[in-house]
Amino acid sequence: MANQETQLLDELITTSRRKMMTFGAASLAGLVMAAAAPEAKAAAAAYSDADILNFALNLEYLEANFYYLAAFGTTIDKSNAASIAAGGPSAGIPITGSVGTAGTVSGGSKVPFATVTVGSYATETAIEEGKHVLFLQSALGGSAVAQPAINLGTSWQTLAAAANMVTPAGNIPAGFSPYANDDTFLVGAYVFEDVGVTAYHGAASLLTTASNLSAAAGILGVEAYHAGLVRTSLNYLDPTGAAGLVGYTTSISNLRNALSQAGLLGVPPSATSYDANPDDYGIATFTTPKGLGGGGAATATRIVDANPANVVAFARNTTQVLNIVTGGGAVNGTAAVSPAMGVFFPAGMNAGPNGFK
Amino acid sequence: MKTLDSLVEKALSRRTFLAGAGAVATTVALAGCGNSAPTGGGGNTYTDADVLNFALNLEYLEAQFYLYAATGSGLASTDTAAPSGYTGKYTEGTVTVGSAAQVAGLSSAQQEILNEIAFEEQTHVQFLRSALGSAAVPMPDLDLSFFGPLAVAATITTAPTGEGSFNPFSSFDYFLVGAFIFEDVGVTAYSGAAPLITPAGVTAGFLTAAAGILAVEAYHAGYVRTSLTGRAIAAGSAAAYPYLAAANLVEALRATLTVGNSAAPSTEGSVETLLVLPGSVSMPSAIVAADPTHAVGFARTVNQVHHIVYGSATVGVAKGGFFPNGTNSIFATTTA
Repeated sequence: MANQETQLLDELITTSRRKMMTFGAASLAGLVMAAAAPEAKAAAAAYSDADILNFALNLEYLEANFYYLAAFGTTIDKSNAASIAAGGPSAGIPITGSVGTAGTVSGGSKVPFATVTVGSYATETAIEEGKHVLFLQSALGGSAVAQPAINLGTSWQTLAAAANMVTPAGNIPAGFSPYANDDTFLVGAYVFEDVGVTAYHGAASLLTTASNLSAAAGILGVEAYHAGLVRTSLNYLDPTGAAGLVGYTTSISNLRNALSQAGLLGVPPSATSYDANPDDYGIATFTTPKGLGGGGAATATRIVDANPANVVAFARNTTQVLNIVTGGGAVNGTAAVSPAMGVFFPAGMNAGPNGFK
Repeated sequence: MKTLDSLVEKALSRRTFLAGAGAVATTVALAGCGNSAPTGGGGNTYTDADVLNFALNLEYLEAQFYLYAATGSGLASTDTAAPSGYTGKYTEGTVTVGSAAQVAGLSSAQQEILNEIAFEEQTHVQFLRSALGSAAVPMPDLDLSFFGPLAVAATITTAPTGEGSFNPFSSFDYFLVGAFIFEDVGVTAYSGAAPLITPAGVTAGFLTAAAGILAVEAYHAGYVRTSLTGRAIAAGSAAAYPYLAAANLVEALRATLTVGNSAAPSTEGSVETLLVLPGSVSMPSAIVAADPTHAVGFARTVNQVHHIVYGSATVGVAKGGFFPNGTNSIFATTTA
């Protein structure tokens, strides 16, 4: 049943789809193909606990390399004096595994941090994401996947262009690089952290053993701390939105929402077949949908990325997450595809025999 | 076997459930609690409803704190009374307000932050009450004047320049320290409670709901810890921003209250991560509270959480601190 919200989303996705047609990026094929999408569900895929943890490991390889490059100027497999001094392992983090071939990381460079605040946050987060890689490798033992090929260079410009196509149009500069300065680094981090939260949240109820669940819940918490950190920092840097950072977050969240919507159904969205509720919000202030206590509604920040109806954080399934981190490469034509590839994962994730859809 | 189809269906049904449609939520809640009565958590026999009601007690406390801080008044009575059809033994309590009031001297940006957190914690109360239906416990007696004794116990004795003794409603910085008392605890409480949910409760959507609230609490904790750290960096030194040290004294007190109580929830023993003041861009901050070996967030047992909110390390205590007559919970008495 269309309401105002669904009509807005219809327009958002239809418009972005039309614009992406002319954009021509292969990695955005999922959304491009959406125009002719019939109602269909994705092919079934079975996931074991190991599969779920390996899915998480792929994401941690991505996040850890981003923060290592930003904080230390090196990829995770190369330790250096700075990473060791900050509490990282004395040897490089292994990137080989029993499954898949270790891929290389392209792009990325050390951010010339100007403020202790943002620089120390980057340093902390790099060390923590590196530990998550090691922890998941350890938990998976002989089942751990190798690091996939990762693109942390041109991916940013591709995503920036895509975000600007979502209605209402964003204003992220075409040459956007998260490695330019403190502000752009936070925007880059913003791209990942809320997604990490939704991915671990989505995984939680799929895990079958209690120890794996506890670990996933613990990492979920850490990702949400990171996300809170990033959103809080952006809020402090741009409290009124005048600096433009708030607008960037709105554009990114709108893009993530559109890609997630496509993944949610296992098929690209059509005018009548996607979820009516957005699952992502930028940090712009909003009016509380209910009054506070016995009083009236109030203007509030949006440090927390959660469903305003119940303030429970969003969860995403693997297709939704894949569609975001591949820029639409997980959904093509009538079905979820495997391997999903594009943008940050130019050759797809490393996965077991079933792949990830 | 988990299929993508079932994942998709689960995602969609999750939204139905989380939308808080009363009739649907009540049905699944009852189905969840009827199917299971495992033992654990210190020997109690409990149901999924008991676990959610434990969380509801904490949310009542957080919601009242943030609502008073943001607006000067608390939850509406419709959010605190026993729900229609409630047959349990607890009765609605009252709030000892003490000096609780809208925080003084807030900038508009700070006011908007407080509005956000107040709205979110209020919504958690409403959401859990909706999910529990007639099984939801009413609000217990709450004491918002306990911050004073807690500060004494934590030895937060030195008043910063321009401040009186610790009062989370007297300034934004003191408010951050007050919020700090709750937020990391909220994260660990949900982390500890999530695995207690039964398979039937998982099917009913309780686990994903608990995990989603866990994440929200961690966003809040990230906000509080980022603010304290950032304001200390801006002030230039720990001495110039004593609120950072005050927050760390709170952590030390929490650790004291839970040491030796039940099994350590983390193999590393400690469940606290002290805030630090990084001296350069290449030094790590300590925004995340997590096990230092694996960077996995901590969990606390329901028992450990009770020790903290009662402000008591004593075993066999059923009330105290923020809950002067105990939580309205099967877990109300500390057992280890």
